[in-house]
Parts: sequence; structure tokens; C-alpha cells
Amino acid sequence: MAKVDLDMAPSRREKKGPAQYVLGFFLLLYTLFCGLPIVLVFISAFTDELCIVQNGYSFFPQKWSTDGMHSVLKYGKQLMTSYGITILITVVGTLFGLFVMSMFAYAISRPGFRLSRFLSVYLLIPMLFSGGQLSAYVIFTSLYGLKDNLLLLILPLAVSTMNVIILRTYIVNSVPMELMEAAKIDGAGDYRTFFQITLPLMKPALAAVGFMMATAYWNEWQNALIYIASDNKKPLQLLLVNIQKNIEFLLNSNNVPAAARAAMGGAIPQQSATMATVVVVIGPIMVVYPFFQKYFIKGLTVGSVKG
Amino acid sequence: MTFLILIVAITAVVFLSLFLLRNRWTNTWKNRAHVVMAYPAFLILLLMAYIPMSGLILAFKNFNYSKGIFASPWVEPIYKNFTFLLASKGDFLTMTKNTFMYYFIFTILGTFLNIVLAIAIDQFLFKRMAKTMQTIMIIPVFVSYAAVQFIVFAFLSSDMGIINTTLGTNTKFYTTAPLWPYILTTVKIWNSVGYGSVLYMSVLAGIDTGLYEAAQIDGAGKWKQIWHITLPELVPMITVMLLLSVGGIMRSDTGLFYQVTRDSGILYSTTQVIDSYVLHAILKNPNYGFTGATTFFQSIVGLLMILGANGLVRKLAPENALF
Repeated sequence: MAKVDLDMAPSRREKKGPAQYVLGFFLLLYTLFCGLPIVLVFISAFTDELCIVQNGYSFFPQKWSTDGMHSVLKYGKQLMTSYGITILITVVGTLFGLFVMSMFAYAISRPGFRLSRFLSVYLLIPMLFSGGQLSAYVIFTSLYGLKDNLLLLILPLAVSTMNVIILRTYIVNSVPMELMEAAKIDGAGDYRTFFQITLPLMKPALAAVGFMMATAYWNEWQNALIYIASDNKKPLQLLLVNIQKNIEFLLNSNNVPAAARAAMGGAIPQQSATMATVVVVIGPIMVVYPFFQKYFIKGLTVGSVKG
Repeated sequence: MTFLILIVAITAVVFLSLFLLRNRWTNTWKNRAHVVMAYPAFLILLLMAYIPMSGLILAFKNFNYSKGIFASPWVEPIYKNFTFLLASKGDFLTMTKNTFMYYFIFTILGTFLNIVLAIAIDQFLFKRMAKTMQTIMIIPVFVSYAAVQFIVFAFLSSDMGIINTTLGTNTKFYTTAPLWPYILTTVKIWNSVGYGSVLYMSVLAGIDTGLYEAAQIDGAGKWKQIWHITLPELVPMITVMLLLSVGGIMRSDTGLFYQVTRDSGILYSTTQVIDSYVLHAILKNPNYGFTGATTFFQSIVGLLMILGANGLVRKLAPENALF
């Protein structure tokens, strides 16, 4: 396997002139544009509720408070359930998806397997043409009879054309053909060659695709919103969507006088509590992401560059 | 239950025919291990992508939930649902126009910024710092729109938003439709440019450094190098990415349009796209005829666009065509 350190790749020996500092300044500006909104979420989650309501959101709050986090814990059971559901679909979906996709990628990359041409076209078509949300909704609920079922959160994201292409390209370019042929000559069957030779060598690509899949599962809200009804199957993202609905409902219902609303206090997920929920939902990704970035960029890179 | 039966039935048919026709399909039978390995993904695509395509006939059906999609009666005349589309001029035209508009803004501006950012990071010689910056730039893509809407609210809320409190203004963003194309474009850029540039950077990292050195010896400056070496190397990737995106011309980032705008009716004139309309319809008990016709239109236009674009690329630069 050709070892190319892609992150640091071309070590050009050039002088770092003033132009470099100008460039750095603009890059820094864009970095702030990307990073500050996330920082604001964390700050607001720990800002005093009254402070937000009176002075607005701020990067420099006058008063800090953990009330927001406390009221998130008031969802208690529902929060734990939703966390469980999200972790379940993320882990099961990612592992299952990686497994079936890498087998598919391996099969269609085999020379001498004539069906692989058909399978490649079969793989490509869904990327170019789809029936759309409504068709899927009607087929899933009316024809398959799936309703309020966690399979509807797992299966639609399990196999994606782009990910299979990344895995296949990786196998073709970075897993040495000779190794697989040698295994065959030594008497290893197709399954054994795949599981003992190819799969272990695919690790970088698996890490990259796996991380992308995991975030897709973690962030999935649309299918949950359409298909999931019962509370014990609601993933985290749906909790976020519903919090917004609750706030809107409360603010729109004019029959709740302002004083009564204020008295309810922490019971209604208000600004800081909402942000605290956002922290709880996006936190795990923020924590895990830096560890995966290396694989993520490398795998994406190695898998997507042709030839 | 129906779902399980379907899975078992399809699997049985596939492998039974493989077994019965083993003398005719010799290559496939010889490679049956590969067939077995490809099968699970094949089945999922069949169930989750191919069979749902048949849902498009909804456009020609008078859908009755209890009868199911195939037993529901056809509409008379067959194009009746489409006459609704044209009759509802306002709604349908607005969302189609918005869908196209955002596609063009996001694709053109997005591709441009992806490339600029990729080149900028590539040219930046403080590599360690560049890496840290890149880490931060990619983060937004991992925040779901269900969460992004609260961030956007923190900036735009009329009385609590940072923009209004900082500027001392009282702009009612959430009721002012003309501002939303700018807002949504900003959010989209924030969300996707850092991530989008990764692919282009991978191409840049693969460029032979000898080319730059040779150019330098020949006296070419930085801009000249970018123009004559870097950009041409990026063309195949740009073409492929554009081609792939064309098929999705009628599809949008639903979360952006549904969540970030809070599905607010006041903003529909500039924010409603076909996908957010369909999602809204599904959740609010759809008019299956109208929505079905919309979906049909959406899918067919997408298909025609990608076939056309690919045909065009095949004429101009065959090596970059998708198929």
C-alpha cells in the first residue's frame, strides 16, 4: 500500500512571506464564522434564563447558571430513552450498513464475476432516480405495513450508493490484488479471503464511511418525524423537534397569560433549557469527531480519487 | 409482517432461480459466493429504493388508504391530478421556482467556495494551524438542522437575537420573507463548505509537486501556478460533483427549509421548496392526488436533467461522464 501522508503531503520548502499572514487572517475569519455559532450554543446553555430573555443571547453573558441543564434533566426518563434509541440505531445501523456494503463492494470488484456489471448499474440508479418522500411513505406504511417501527430509521440509511463506491474504489486501489490471489491459491475460499484479507485491510475506508454513517444516523430526524409515534421509540433529534413545537404551542396559545407562563418557569423548556438540550444532542459528536477526523479525511480521500 | 413475508419471498425466488438455472448461468453459479455477499445490500436497495419508485403511480391514482396503493382506482381522466397542479398556479409555481433558485445558488456558490477554500488551505504553509482550522470548519456539517434552527434563532430572534441586540435594531426576520434567501444561503454555506472542500483538497494533495517546482523554475508566480496547474487538475472532480448534483436539482436539503424556517407559512413565498412541501403534506394528512403529482413531476424532471447533463458531458469531455 502506497503510504502517502495526505494531511501533511507536499512539504514545499517555501518562505512564509507576508502573503501567508494575509491568507491566514482570512482563513481565521472563516474558522470563526464556522466555530462561533457552536460556541454560542454552549454559552447559552449555561446562561441565566432571565439574562437571555431580557438582554438577548450573548457570547458574554452577565450571569451564568446551570438551570438550563437542570431542566433538561427534568425530561429525565424520556431523555434516557431517546438517548438509548439514538445509540441503538446509530450502532446497529452503522455496523450493519458497513457489513452489507463492504460485502457488496467486494463482490462487484471481483474480476471474472460477470454479474458485477449489472450490479454496478443497479447500484448507480438509485442515486440518479428516486420515488421521493411521498412514494416511500406510502409504500413503507401501506404496502410493507411498517409503522412506528425502528426498522424505518435503520434500513433507509443502511446502503447508500456513494458509500459503496468509496468502499469499492478503496478495495480496487488500495487492497493489493496479489494478496487476494495468493490467498486463493493457498486454498482460502471467497468468504475467507474477504473476511481475513480484504476486510482487515479496508479499515481506513471503513472508519471514514462508518463515521459518516454514524453521524447520519445520529442526526436523522426526518424519518423519525414521519414514522415514529410512540414515546419509547423517539430518537434524540425528535425530542429537539418536539421541544420547538411545545414552545410554539405555548407561545401561540393566547389563553396562557404572561404571568402564568412566567410562573411555570423551568417547566417549559425555555431558551437556556433548549440550548442545553442542543448541547446534550450534539455534544457526543463534538467529542468523538476529532478522534475520527484523521480517518475521516484520509478514507474519504483515498476512496474518492480515481486511479 | 407483510414486510417479513416479502423479504422471505424475494430471497427464495432469487436463490431458487439461481439454483435451477445453474447450468445456464455458469459464471454466476461459479461465483455464487459473490452473489450471496452482494445479496443483502441488493435486497435493501430493492426494498428501500426500487420498490418505493412504484409509489410514483400515486400521481395517477385516487388513493384510498384502506385499499392500498395498487388496488386504488385510477383517476379519470388519467392526467386529472396534474390539472390540479396547473390550477393551483401559485403554490406549485412558487415551490418549483424556489427549488430551482436555491439549487442554482447553492451549487454555483457552494462549488466556488469549496474550491477557493480548498486552494486556500492547500496554499497555507502553517500546516498544523491549517489542520486545526479545517477541523473547526468541518464541524457544522455534523450538526443536524433540528439543532441548527435553535442556533439560527439565537442570531435572528427579533427581541433576543444577537444580530438585533448588537446592532440595536428590531428586524423581524421570522416574518420578513425577502430576507430568507440570504439567511438560508448563509446557513447552507456555514453548514457545508468546510466539508465540501475536503474532496477537492484530496485532489490537490495528489498533484505531483514536481509540476509546481517546474513552474517555479520557469518563473511562474503563485496565481499563475493556481490557474495553470491547480485548476485544470480539479476539473474532473468538479464535473463529477456537478453531474451528481444535477440529478438532485428538484431535491433540497429538507431540514434547511423545513426546520430552519420553522415551517412558517409567512415565509413560504421564498422558503418553500418541493421537498419541504411534501414533508409538510405527509405530516398534515396529504391530498394524495396533488402531492403525488408534485412528487412525480419532481422525480421525472430530476431524471431528465441528469440524463441531459450526462449526455452533454459525454459529448464535450467523455472521460468525465458518469455513464
